[in-house]
Amino acid sequence: MLKMMTAVLRFLSIMVLCLFFTGTAFAAKSEYRRTIEHYAVPDVVLVNQDGHKVHLKTYLQSNNPVVVEFIFGTCTTICPILSAGYANLQQKLGADVRNVKLVSISIDPEHDTPNVMKEYLKKYRAKPGWDFLTGSRSDIDKVMYAFNAYIPNKMSHFPLTLFRSPSDGSWIRIFGLMSSSEFLNEFHKVAKK
Amino acid sequence: MAMAAVVFLFVLMGFLPTCPAAERSTAPLSHEEQIRLGERIYREGILPSGEAVQAVVKGDITVPGTSFTCVSCHLRSGLGSSEGGVVTPPTNGAILFKPYNSSYKDVTNDKRYLPSIGQRVAYTDQTLARAIQAGVNPSGLTMNPVMPRYLLDDKDMALLITYLKSLSVDFSPGVSEREINFATVITDDVPPEEYEAMLLPLQRYVNLKNGSINLYRNQKRSERMAASMLVSSELMYKKMTLARWMLKGPAETWRKQLEEYYRTQPVFALLGGISHGDWKPIHDFSEAHHLPCLFPQTEYPVISETDWYTLYLSKGYYQEGEGAARFLNNSDETAPGGKVLQIVRASRESQALAKGFEETWRELGHDAAVTISLQPGEKLLEDTLHNALKTEKPAAILIWDESGAVPVLDLLSSDALRPARVLVSGSQQAQHFGAIPEKVRAFTYITYPYRLPQDDAIYNIYIAPYKKNPTTAGAYDLNLKSSFITTQILTSALMDMRGNYYRDNFFDVIGMMPDQRYPLYERVSFGPGQRYASKGCYIVQLGSGDKPELIKKSDWVIH
Ligand code: HEC
Repeated sequence: MLKMMTAVLRFLSIMVLCLFFTGTAFAAKSEYRRTIEHYAVPDVVLVNQDGHKVHLKTYLQSNNPVVVEFIFGTCTTICPILSAGYANLQQKLGADVRNVKLVSISIDPEHDTPNVMKEYLKKYRAKPGWDFLTGSRSDIDKVMYAFNAYIPNKMSHFPLTLFRSPSDGSWIRIFGLMSSSEFLNEFHKVAKK
Repeated sequence: MAMAAVVFLFVLMGFLPTCPAAERSTAPLSHEEQIRLGERIYREGILPSGEAVQAVVKGDITVPGTSFTCVSCHLRSGLGSSEGGVVTPPTNGAILFKPYNSSYKDVTNDKRYLPSIGQRVAYTDQTLARAIQAGVNPSGLTMNPVMPRYLLDDKDMALLITYLKSLSVDFSPGVSEREINFATVITDDVPPEEYEAMLLPLQRYVNLKNGSINLYRNQKRSERMAASMLVSSELMYKKMTLARWMLKGPAETWRKQLEEYYRTQPVFALLGGISHGDWKPIHDFSEAHHLPCLFPQTEYPVISETDWYTLYLSKGYYQEGEGAARFLNNSDETAPGGKVLQIVRASRESQALAKGFEETWRELGHDAAVTISLQPGEKLLEDTLHNALKTEKPAAILIWDESGAVPVLDLLSSDALRPARVLVSGSQQAQHFGAIPEKVRAFTYITYPYRLPQDDAIYNIYIAPYKKNPTTAGAYDLNLKSSFITTQILTSALMDMRGNYYRDNFFDVIGMMPDQRYPLYERVSFGPGQRYASKGCYIVQLGSGDKPELIKKSDWVIH
């Protein structure tokens, strides 16, 4: 009986553990939090949707504005909205699309192979200038840490947009989901600086 | 301001958000046809006209609905999702047309982040159309702008609503108030000791679960405790059954046998299962009946990016071939343009390895490998090999041969034209690692699709209960560990389904699970549509001695 009881308790504790699987909170309303930050980009080599190697540090040191977001290929709610923001910006920029670097970094690097990333970009009708990067788990962890965006569990992922100013390399950090006019607004602030 | 823009858009398009949806007749279409078209809008964002649905998100981002399909947030079952604190409520037939009062038991966070529809009256066709077009719920509340506003005309809206009415309305077969029925498929090419090893953890799990029912009946204190701990307390008294569906004879006859088992006793899902043959006939059966199959133990899964109803632990042999291709792609000698020579035994397993390599190699942008095929029993002649090295000058060689790679490795060790790297399969050579001569170890690389033995030892406690059993004492760790993983995922899935016993919900909730560290694989991970839980494969080399240590030469996942 006692044995039975401990077995049952073990079963229960497994079940209860599952209660803690749910993600951390994040605001889905239109308010977002904006701060100015300085980041030391780690010297790692990531891989883009074409399978090409990308030296992240030099790649982000651009004379044009750079935007960075963390997403993954099979993400449900947040990433479609973040990526729609990118798609929309590219559309609005028209011919100037090459003057901005849009970077999506995978937080599910094991699943997000170049092929998966290529398909993802196709779905959003991405134009050149928008790269989706994957890499080894440890390199991706380094990148997340560097941007104070460490997400140990992809399902408790939060929406974050980082704009790099070409003039002084500082970053505007937006925590939350923006509408496209809010996104454009932030972008223009960085671009003009 | 954003809302005004949306209203303006609607006016521009010539219809107002309040227009009744289901009035115009869709009579010429059969009910099935309407559902099919509605499903396409829901899952793919494509209208009957072939055009993409237009949607507005976050107030003013206009997007093609193909990237904003209902299914991406509300999931295939329509029961919704919770990600990063954004809770997407259910939108299935059983819930929409009843008053709703969500308690969100598991979300202890700030109330602001919950959907605005905490409480609402039942939907009608009209209020549902308004919700989808204008984001206003039947209680008059404006919804969170994360829920897009869709520009659908009456006819298309009616199709979508017809589909939503049919979506997850009645529980799937294999569940009743008192029972939930599962089956496990076993083919007769598997020896009894081996399939018993696959069954042991599953059966123990079922016994434990059912044992707890008696406990709750007899001990009210345990019952109260469990009820307060479990999200899904109706699960407490549900008995679990596990039928054995034994398949006999040639694979062409399996489908008929499966249909017969299913007709006699439909089950909610298939758990585990084992075959040394191709899993395809069973995979196809699952697809046809929309019957989920969780982690069958097979080296020959179906490799598909779109099939839905079988969730595999890995891609089996294919994954090792894939690992080899990614490893070579990253090494200086082979990229770009370097040739690869493949020596492949004409057998199912060696061909699965070769296929994994070839398809990945091509995907990575390389020319096809040169292949020497060996018939069963055939020996590769020294001259044949030497000539191939001379004419092809390969930058790497792969040997896929279940009868042992040593003879070819031996030949290569004394050939001056040998490239720097020769790859073999860990699954094929695992029995003979010690027999691989020391002189070839420096150029021999091995695909190893599991966590390395020295690192996996700490996980052995999970299979300790079965090590007292004479049959499984010294063997079948792979089967035991695989089934252990199955029970873990099953537990989480049953809890996360919260009493919504729809088969699509079963895989939906698994798709929302965080990555896990279990025995066997460095990491297993999930996601909507992800169908191979382990994505990795190490490349290792051998240390010295007759029980050589495995030495990592790559990451778990290589890009
Ligand atoms: C980007 C994610 C997303 C997509 C895509 C999406 N929804 Fe939603 N949906 C939500 C969220 C979040 C809510 C909750 C909003 C709130 O109540 O504040 C919601 C609410 C709803 C509701 C209200 C449920 C209730 O009980 O009141 C319905 C109905 C609905 N969605 C249907 C659909 C349909 C149909 C589609 C596709 C045409 C769709 N949704 C696409 C996220 C999404």
